[in-house]
Amino acid sequence: MTEERNWHTHRDAKNARLASASSLLNGKFAKTEDVVKVLNTLIKPGDKVVLEGDNQKQASFLSEALTKVDPDQVHDLHMIMSSISRPEHLDIFDLGIASKMDFSFAGPQSTRVSQMIADGTMTVGDIHTYLELFGRLFIDLIPNVVLVAADKVDREGNLYTGFNTEETPTIVEAAAFHDGIVIVQANEVVDKLPRVDIPADWVDVVIPADKPYQLEPLFTRDPQAITELQILMGMMAIKGIYAKHKVQTLNHGVGFNTSAIELLLPTYGEQLGLKGKICRNWELNPTPTLIPAIESGWVESIHSFGGEVGMEKYIAARPDIFFVGKDGTMRSNRALGQVAGQYALDMFVGSTLQIDQWGNSSTVTNGRLSGFGGAPNMGSNPTGRRHSTPAWQSLKPDDDPLAKGQKLVVQMVETFGANKKPVFVDHLDAEEVRKEAKLANVPIMIYSEDTTHIVTEEGIAYLYKTDSMEERKAAIEAIAGVTPVGLRSDPKEVKKLREAGIVALPEDLGVRREDAKRSLLAAQTMDDLVEWSHGLYNPPAKFRSWS
Amino acid sequence: MRSLWLMPGQGGQKARMLAEVDPELKAQVETWTGVKLLDTEEGYQDSQQIQLSILLLQVEQIDQLQQLGWQPDLVAGHSLGVFGAAYAAKVIGKEDVFKLVALRAKLMQDSCPAGYGMGVIVGLSRPAVKKLVEQVHADDNPVYLSNQNAEMQNTISGKITAIQSVLELAKENGAAKAKLLKVPNPSHSPLMAAAAKKLQEFLQTLTLQAPECIYLTNFNGHATRKLQDVAYDLGNNLIHPVYWETMMQVALEYEPTVSCEFSPGTAFTRLLKAKMDQLQTVTLETMSIDDADFLFNKWEKK
Repeated sequence: MTEERNWHTHRDAKNARLASASSLLNGKFAKTEDVVKVLNTLIKPGDKVVLEGDNQKQASFLSEALTKVDPDQVHDLHMIMSSISRPEHLDIFDLGIASKMDFSFAGPQSTRVSQMIADGTMTVGDIHTYLELFGRLFIDLIPNVVLVAADKVDREGNLYTGFNTEETPTIVEAAAFHDGIVIVQANEVVDKLPRVDIPADWVDVVIPADKPYQLEPLFTRDPQAITELQILMGMMAIKGIYAKHKVQTLNHGVGFNTSAIELLLPTYGEQLGLKGKICRNWELNPTPTLIPAIESGWVESIHSFGGEVGMEKYIAARPDIFFVGKDGTMRSNRALGQVAGQYALDMFVGSTLQIDQWGNSSTVTNGRLSGFGGAPNMGSNPTGRRHSTPAWQSLKPDDDPLAKGQKLVVQMVETFGANKKPVFVDHLDAEEVRKEAKLANVPIMIYSEDTTHIVTEEGIAYLYKTDSMEERKAAIEAIAGVTPVGLRSDPKEVKKLREAGIVALPEDLGVRREDAKRSLLAAQTMDDLVEWSHGLYNPPAKFRSWS
Repeated sequence: MRSLWLMPGQGGQKARMLAEVDPELKAQVETWTGVKLLDTEEGYQDSQQIQLSILLLQVEQIDQLQQLGWQPDLVAGHSLGVFGAAYAAKVIGKEDVFKLVALRAKLMQDSCPAGYGMGVIVGLSRPAVKKLVEQVHADDNPVYLSNQNAEMQNTISGKITAIQSVLELAKENGAAKAKLLKVPNPSHSPLMAAAAKKLQEFLQTLTLQAPECIYLTNFNGHATRKLQDVAYDLGNNLIHPVYWETMMQVALEYEPTVSCEFSPGTAFTRLLKAKMDQLQTVTLETMSIDDADFLFNKWEKK
């Protein structure tokens, strides 16, 4: 007879670890000052550890504590993080506590990430899109330990994560139902929660934090910084893309270009008679620049990946628009937001640092392995989808009875970026970065085949209409201005492309450059936004010009 | 408060810049090195005078700030500035650092055949400049891509004839500025190998300590706390480009809240402020130690 297999080794291991930490725990609660001891005891060498950190919310108390564990006891951790945002996220590699990383975004730490990969301090599993990373938490990157952040916890260990729920439930679920250990830092311990976002059953250890978790107001754009060039591009996009394709459901990237569009809807959009016809349902963080459009009745609904500092009261007062609990505070969800962003939308509009001659784009530039945020999921065409919306159908070729529509993926860029560097280049820096960092794939953010439109201050290229790569290249050259790529453009070819509707210049769209004035923005200052919100929006200190 | 201390290299020296330096310290430096510091325009035609005088300015400022209780969290020196940076990080003692720099300056002078130098190109990316350098470089007409001062500002080092060819090409390719620098050495290139070797030998006779803060290396733009990296940088930065842009990117990723630029000059603060406008900055070229102390105290409380 064969020996019977033990089918609950994970559970046994988890129980043994928790038992060894029992002297540090009172129920689920550990003392703030014992945090390093708790981590030293509960984390074992080689563990897969999710450390919560996205582009807004950071489990900063736990990440700082992780740098203080004893590398002789805790080493070779395999970190899984959607965003590498804080210095200590990399210090644990310098200290020998961690050795491998799977991640999505590393914008704020991208130079050190590049260096650590090059010198072997860090090995990279993959650079994922958000959904690949979240998905793999349930497949082959199932965590042993997760370190997450909550706003409030009650005496039983139920969690309130509120506006900034983001990816906390997804991370916790991956551990809680596969015998991983769930460790939570909490800003506050209370008797009664506003609502339960994550049940106590899923939580193993709660540690009150010494200070509230770090939270960045990442999606706040001051209207004062919007330029007339961006207003021109916004007008072109509204007329030549939003109206043309009757875009009703959409996501905007974080740039000033899309802020300009948000502020043009109640003015320019209204003049064009587009209200109610476009931009009704959004997957979007609560960007303050959308307040005027909401207040003027353009917006039906907004689901959000995360919160935005200062928008709390405004959101609470607009439950018809936002996803708000009975308690009056918003609930965000990054995983569901990304699903919606990839599958449920007519259009994604974003920006980038480089676009190559074929139309591939990337924010990975020389020496900076930034990874990507939501763009690769939202900026890709889910080919299995079968939408009936006017926008999706409008991209369907009419010469094939079995043809499918396509999601609109729009890149809005000025031909020269910060530092006067050309955005249009023959080859992405990402190609070199792949070699240097020995990556399996070139870190392209949005592939050419998924990009349907590019908007610059010169005009719009309708790439989805091109029949060949040669034509696609010519369309890109036509709107690439005086960059090396743009200088190759042939005026005769541009004329043909304009006639075919593959390229549109402002005059082809009936947009007059001289009309692109700041006075066209529904709000021109942060103060205007506060006024539009009836005093409900409370800008973070760094965006306030008054005190 | 997390502070980043910046030490510039040659270029900002000017006559009478040592006027307010403690005469005792100055005399001591002269004794240690056997070099009389003239602090005149004429004197600053000489590399040893320049290097020792700038180091003297920086060492005095470092001493004054450290006596007031201020320590850096991160230090970065540009070229000659690495010696001030290593001193601030307590890697090397005062007497040793002056002796080391005296030797470095002498080796640079001695290894200086006529017809070599450096040029600067503004407005082209580093890979673009690299291509131009590769077009011109030959064994008998050598030129190398050297310092990376900013993303679109790089220097080249080598034979003047080769430098001039690259500068011409750079202008043809749209560089906003491409000109020869008043530097008599092909610094930060492999042409300095002999000098670097002798400097290394002298370094091995010194007792060095691991840095007490994060040190940003010239030779590869990394942050380090290891003595061997700092020692390598001190001995060999002459043969490598200064990766200043990378050093600053890395420094900012450590989220400093305050920067302090030591004399002479204020250029690095301007470059840094353009990258991160929320950074609080002090430039000792334009502020007294008392002012710096007052501001640090104010920012520390926040």
